[in-house]
Amino acid sequence: MFLAIRELKHGKLRFLMIGVITVMIAWLVFMLSGLGNGLSTLSAATIKNMDATYVTFEDGSRASMSRSLLSESLAEKLENQPNVSAATVMGATMGTILNNSDSGTNEKVDIAILGTTPGSFLEPNVIDGKPLQANESLEVIANDTLKKKGFKIGDTLKIEGSLEKMKIVGFVNNETYNHLPAIFTTLDKWRSIQFAAPGSDKGIEKPVNAIMLQGKNIDSEKLNQLFKNTETVTKSAAVQGMPGYKEENGTIMMMLAFLLAISAFVLGVFFYVLTLQKSNQFGILKALGASNRFLGRAIVSQVFLLSFVSITAGVLLTYGTALILPDEMPFSLDLKLVVLYALLLLVISILSSLVSVRKITKIDPLQAIGRME
Amino acid sequence: MSGIQFKNVSKLYQQGENQVLALDDISLTVEQGEFIAVIGPSGSGKSTFLAIAGALLQTSKGEVILNGKNLNELKPKNLVRLRLEEIGFILQTSNLVPYLNVLEQLLVVKKMAGKLAKVDKGYAKELLQSLGLAAKLEKLPEQLSGGERQRTAIARAFMNNPSIILADEPTASLDSKRAHEVVQLIANEAKTRNKAAIMVTHDERMLEYCDKVYRMEDGRLKHDDSFNRENGNTLLEDKQLQEN
Ligand SMILES: Nc1ncnc2c1ncn2[C@@H]1O[C@H](COP(=O)(O)OP(=O)(O)OP(=O)(O)O)[C@@H](O)[C@H]1O
Ligand SMILES: [Mg+2]
Repeated sequence: MFLAIRELKHGKLRFLMIGVITVMIAWLVFMLSGLGNGLSTLSAATIKNMDATYVTFEDGSRASMSRSLLSESLAEKLENQPNVSAATVMGATMGTILNNSDSGTNEKVDIAILGTTPGSFLEPNVIDGKPLQANESLEVIANDTLKKKGFKIGDTLKIEGSLEKMKIVGFVNNETYNHLPAIFTTLDKWRSIQFAAPGSDKGIEKPVNAIMLQGKNIDSEKLNQLFKNTETVTKSAAVQGMPGYKEENGTIMMMLAFLLAISAFVLGVFFYVLTLQKSNQFGILKALGASNRFLGRAIVSQVFLLSFVSITAGVLLTYGTALILPDEMPFSLDLKLVVLYALLLLVISILSSLVSVRKITKIDPLQAIGRME
Repeated sequence: MSGIQFKNVSKLYQQGENQVLALDDISLTVEQGEFIAVIGPSGSGKSTFLAIAGALLQTSKGEVILNGKNLNELKPKNLVRLRLEEIGFILQTSNLVPYLNVLEQLLVVKKMAGKLAKVDKGYAKELLQSLGLAAKLEKLPEQLSGGERQRTAIARAFMNNPSIILADEPTASLDSKRAHEVVQLIANEAKTRNKAAIMVTHDERMLEYCDKVYRMEDGRLKHDDSFNRENGNTLLEDKQLQEN
């Protein structure tokens, strides 16, 4: 630290430049992670939120609700299987709604209509209003982002291309599905919207898209064998099966990986060049009795200080930017992720400085003596 | 036994097919309190000699005993420690760390050894004061004159109170007035604090401060009588009297 701090103070400009680069890299890393987090929430929050461990789809649907069609009666049979403590059905449809109340705007809004059994573990708790009732098929609960679009409790909704109407009785929080705000209805209501066209239910009695299972250590292999024409996967596989989820996440992860690699190289090269420049100076210090450890620590602590300050600045900048981002941006910072990426950046920068430390151990103090001057 | 002792030391540089015998069977003892000079033409092996004395280079043959320790038998880690604690290097150019001020140049030596104690700071200040640098403690090397820089480097070499002082052309970058000052300082330190000091130099005017002069030629070291003065250090003492 003795050498590290003094050199940082003395060479302000050069360290400031590399610091700014690190800040920008860190900033970008955190922005990307926020964006990735926001996107995946938008894409699959409802599936992520639900308190289930496994999901049963129709065989061949590749863990996608939109491709899967099962009969509700299967849920009961699944519930009787070992380790399955509960099974609840779900159906999903995309749609466009209009506010049919006098007070509302006439703006159309895209939504996901999710049908489930009222009172089951799939129905999220309302933050406002009241929950679904089994016998009130007109009543729905909606994601609270609809409030911003001018929807209120008591508003009636018209569904485009359908004669069905709905009435908002409650709001839920953070429920999005397939990038759209979710509206929860009873199964009957959902079916009357989804299967309005004759024959679209393929003749299945009481059709649903998927069955969510609760319970630890469920043997999905055995369930697949036992119930032909079904495929049971873990909840995370179901999340991956959401349309666009893998692609979005993959792209962002790749960008993050590249950024982290770039930061490792930029910092590594910068400090390596600095070390090369100072190799004579290090040689002299070694001749005076400095150990490799002493000099290595000077470099590592320098990198640590610089990265720590830069990453912290990056975090602050990110939270600052989050404040001014428009609400529609799918951006949500997860503190855990921010801390994780901050630590990762710090570790990577320190690892990258080890190249310089290795160089130091190879410097021959002999060069300090006469001849080399 | 203290001081430094060369016993039949040879050094062979191997560079591809070429072999250079830089030191050829050198034997020499420098006692504590003794200040010797090594002169000789370029390429004769003076720096090699000093590097071996300073535990920076291994001998090819023979051994070096420093304060009773055989350098051949020490592990690299212990050699580093020995350089830090028992050897004070003064180099041709002062080679100060560019971003440390005068006081810190000395403190960093203590830092290398571990913790920096309060007494160390006091000692460093005293040392710098005795070398006439009391007013320059906060100055960076770039703000110092060549002589001041070299004096700082000398103070740095004395900081750990080493028992051996090694100087490789310490006056090369100085004018003659500064050169005299600097060599006097080394001589003085050797005498008053009972240290063994070896100086490699081209500058024959500096030899008057030394107890013995050796001449290096093609890797061989010979005692040079022509500089031997019966009266030892009288010249040095005269000079100091004049100054006071
Ligand atoms: N690392 C090395 N590899 C090969 N040969 C070397 C090496 N270092 C020195 N030599 C050779 O050893 C001989 C002695 O070199 P040294 O540096 O000790 O001379 P010197 O007396 O200090 O010269 P100068 O007065 O020019 O500084 C020279 O012939 C030199 O070329
Ligand atoms: Mg030399």
